[in-house]
Amino acid sequence: MKRIEYDVLIVGGGIAGLTAAHRLVDAAKTAGTPLRIAVVEKAKNFGAHVLSGAVSNPRSVKKLFPDYETNGFPLEGKCAESHLTLLGAQRAKDMPFAPPEMNKTGYLILSLSNVCAWMAENLVEKTKDTAVAVDLYNGFAAQDILYSGQRVTGVRVDDTGAPEQDNCYAKITIFADKGLLSRDLIEKFNLAQSNQTYAVGVKEIWETDQDFSGKVWHTLGYPLMDGNFGGGFIYGLKDKKLAIGMVAGLDSENPNLQPPQILQAMKKTPFVQQMLKGGKLARYGASIIPEAGWFAMPKELAVDGAMIAGDAAGTMDIKGFSGVDKAMESAMIAADVAFGALQKNDISKAALAAYQEALLDGWVGQELKASRYYRHAFHENKALFSDYLPVVLKGLDKGCMMSGGVKAFFSGPGGLISGGLNLLKLMGGGGSGELRLPEDRTCPKPKHNAVPLAEPEGFAKNSVYLTPDMVFYAHTHYHHGNDHIKEFDAAVCKKCIARFEAGNNPPPCVGDCTADVHSVLAKDGAKSHQMALENCVQCRTCEIVCPEKNIRVNPALHGSGPDFRGL
Amino acid sequence: MLKVVVFIKQVPDTSSKAGVNPDGTIDRARAKRMLNNFDRYALQKAIEIKRSVGAEVTCVTMGPPPAIEVLVEGLEHGADYGILLTDKRLAASDTLATAYALHKVVGYIGQVDIILTGLQTTDGDTAQVGPQIAERLDLPQISYCESLTITGKTAKARRVVEGGFQNVETAMPLLITVANSATPLGHKRFIEVAQVKEMLRTPEERARRIKSVSLDDVGADAARTGLVGSPTVVGKTWKLGEVGGSCKVFEGEAVETEVARLLESLAADSRNIAEMLHG
Repeated sequence: MKRIEYDVLIVGGGIAGLTAAHRLVDAAKTAGTPLRIAVVEKAKNFGAHVLSGAVSNPRSVKKLFPDYETNGFPLEGKCAESHLTLLGAQRAKDMPFAPPEMNKTGYLILSLSNVCAWMAENLVEKTKDTAVAVDLYNGFAAQDILYSGQRVTGVRVDDTGAPEQDNCYAKITIFADKGLLSRDLIEKFNLAQSNQTYAVGVKEIWETDQDFSGKVWHTLGYPLMDGNFGGGFIYGLKDKKLAIGMVAGLDSENPNLQPPQILQAMKKTPFVQQMLKGGKLARYGASIIPEAGWFAMPKELAVDGAMIAGDAAGTMDIKGFSGVDKAMESAMIAADVAFGALQKNDISKAALAAYQEALLDGWVGQELKASRYYRHAFHENKALFSDYLPVVLKGLDKGCMMSGGVKAFFSGPGGLISGGLNLLKLMGGGGSGELRLPEDRTCPKPKHNAVPLAEPEGFAKNSVYLTPDMVFYAHTHYHHGNDHIKEFDAAVCKKCIARFEAGNNPPPCVGDCTADVHSVLAKDGAKSHQMALENCVQCRTCEIVCPEKNIRVNPALHGSGPDFRGL
Repeated sequence: MLKVVVFIKQVPDTSSKAGVNPDGTIDRARAKRMLNNFDRYALQKAIEIKRSVGAEVTCVTMGPPPAIEVLVEGLEHGADYGILLTDKRLAASDTLATAYALHKVVGYIGQVDIILTGLQTTDGDTAQVGPQIAERLDLPQISYCESLTITGKTAKARRVVEGGFQNVETAMPLLITVANSATPLGHKRFIEVAQVKEMLRTPEERARRIKSVSLDDVGADAARTGLVGSPTVVGKTWKLGEVGGSCKVFEGEAVETEVARLLESLAADSRNIAEMLHG
């Protein structure tokens, strides 16, 4: 049997993977050369496992699709009104001074899952009647990386047991898989620098009575008042839809973040309530965000026969939340280098290394380098937010932010000034030395004592849901016999449960789960870890926060998982 | 080698919201399309026969040109050939006209050992077309077939009957309608999907594997198909409304306690429903 082989194999049909595919098709069409490309995507349909904010700088979309405003590219709108809002339990107010990177006016408001679905469809149309072949394998998850010596030769995508039937080979493999498989590559070749710092984002789409299109809010404050990095976002989409979400850093001491409940708490504030009044929840989903930036990028982005792009390469820049544009740019450069390498018939690491050079010398590298201490600034100055922010918000809730500000200032002027200066210095890039970030899994403290939240008054129950209710809106479907999350040792889980429960907390996998998958089962006086995998929205938070590295999330097979269409 | 024909149909996607036209018919242009769920069991049976005793599997569908998508899907699952019967004159065919047209396709194919169909479609829900084809071809038929064993030219089947099952045996050729309690359709294999993609790019190979035929090609009388050949009259169609709800989770206690709470809650709900119904 002839083995299935392509020129370029792209692992992952997210924004980076599909951008690379488009760029390769464009290059081959311009050069008039035949090219065979395959894209493997674990979701049943393209876009179904893609979730992002997303408000993006138009620069990369414009570069890939110069005619994006007229070619059917699915825009949810353009930002006409950008707010950075301090959110209190009762009131909200725009911050008097906002960093310029938070002004999103003129940026594109996107549903990244819709964008990916469109890009996949458009890709096939683009190659009609050309010598370029693009084969889209949605519903096929890349499960293992194939090597010939030290050279990557493709991935295994099926499990009939016969290699010639299960393997997809390629001259060059581009990993745009958000790390799901490429972490193995990074480990094998020892490419990691610092640990990654992740955040988890939960998001809902609402169909509302009012039209908020073109309006963008980023919120700071309620309900994240414990100094942990995070915030909310509310984006007005076309057709009277609203995207609303909450992002929380996983480098938190709190093992019981309950991301969906943080979002519910945000929705209880009068500010959000008036937006959702009369509206209807349409969809729910969750995803992780690699936030560390510069220091957490792999040392090398290419090995013999393979490259790493997008979130897998850690190109997300927390300054201004620039993820989509940088992921796309990295994929375009990777595609250009891959195409050039194929033309010269040299797919060695040395030839592919031009990708990393071009990426880091270009605007992506420059911006990531400039903001390399940005995320860390918040980690280091947590007190600024845990001690002073609640006081400011209390003043805001009473009707005068100034009074809160003044109170906050006099409650500890020294700490506020030095902390504030340090924060601004680091945010502006004024740090020194290489950062070695802690692993997120080492952050949750068993004895963490979360401060109870003051509940806003008069919220409408119909805009607030239980986690299990919300999971229903993620439309998850799993194949019979699915077991995509591996727990290595049940005894380790038992000890972890005992340790955290002694501090009156659940273990982090339970406390931080976005979809009610993990729970502690009490039976005959013994407690054990159990999972309801059919709920899983595949965010991978559990793996990141597992203190014992006792969990691994593998790609679910046969197109199983949530359906994030519209998110 | 056995020759197996599977009749499949493209229907509006049941998970998408298909609109209803002002005249009461389904707005098929707006609806997303999918392979009729019931046909998946028939396709699985065909693939099972092919993989166990060896067979040449031909998928046949009738519909507008986009229906070719379900033939490609059949091939990706492991079928060998696809035939699309497409003709404007077929529009609005009822079961009588459809079965007439489809039985002509069997004649067009030639010698056939086993014809497989699903139980019914999700858009018509009649479960009449399969048995009608068998009658027109004067073949023995096994309806509601759950499991099947092939020995030489004999088929032994277990069929679902009210309150139990029935074992039957008959000689080929025959027609089988497959119940939805049979083995569900397996997952596509990478190798087969990859080979189909390659085949679709090769025009000669594509023409050999997937054929598009008209009423004239299969020798059918156009007057016996379509609206003119269909005695059925469609009455009124209306939208029933949308289903919604909210879920309650019982957790935190031992399973036994939670189950007791669940039962209690269900009993309370049923009392409420009973009150609601009977005032």
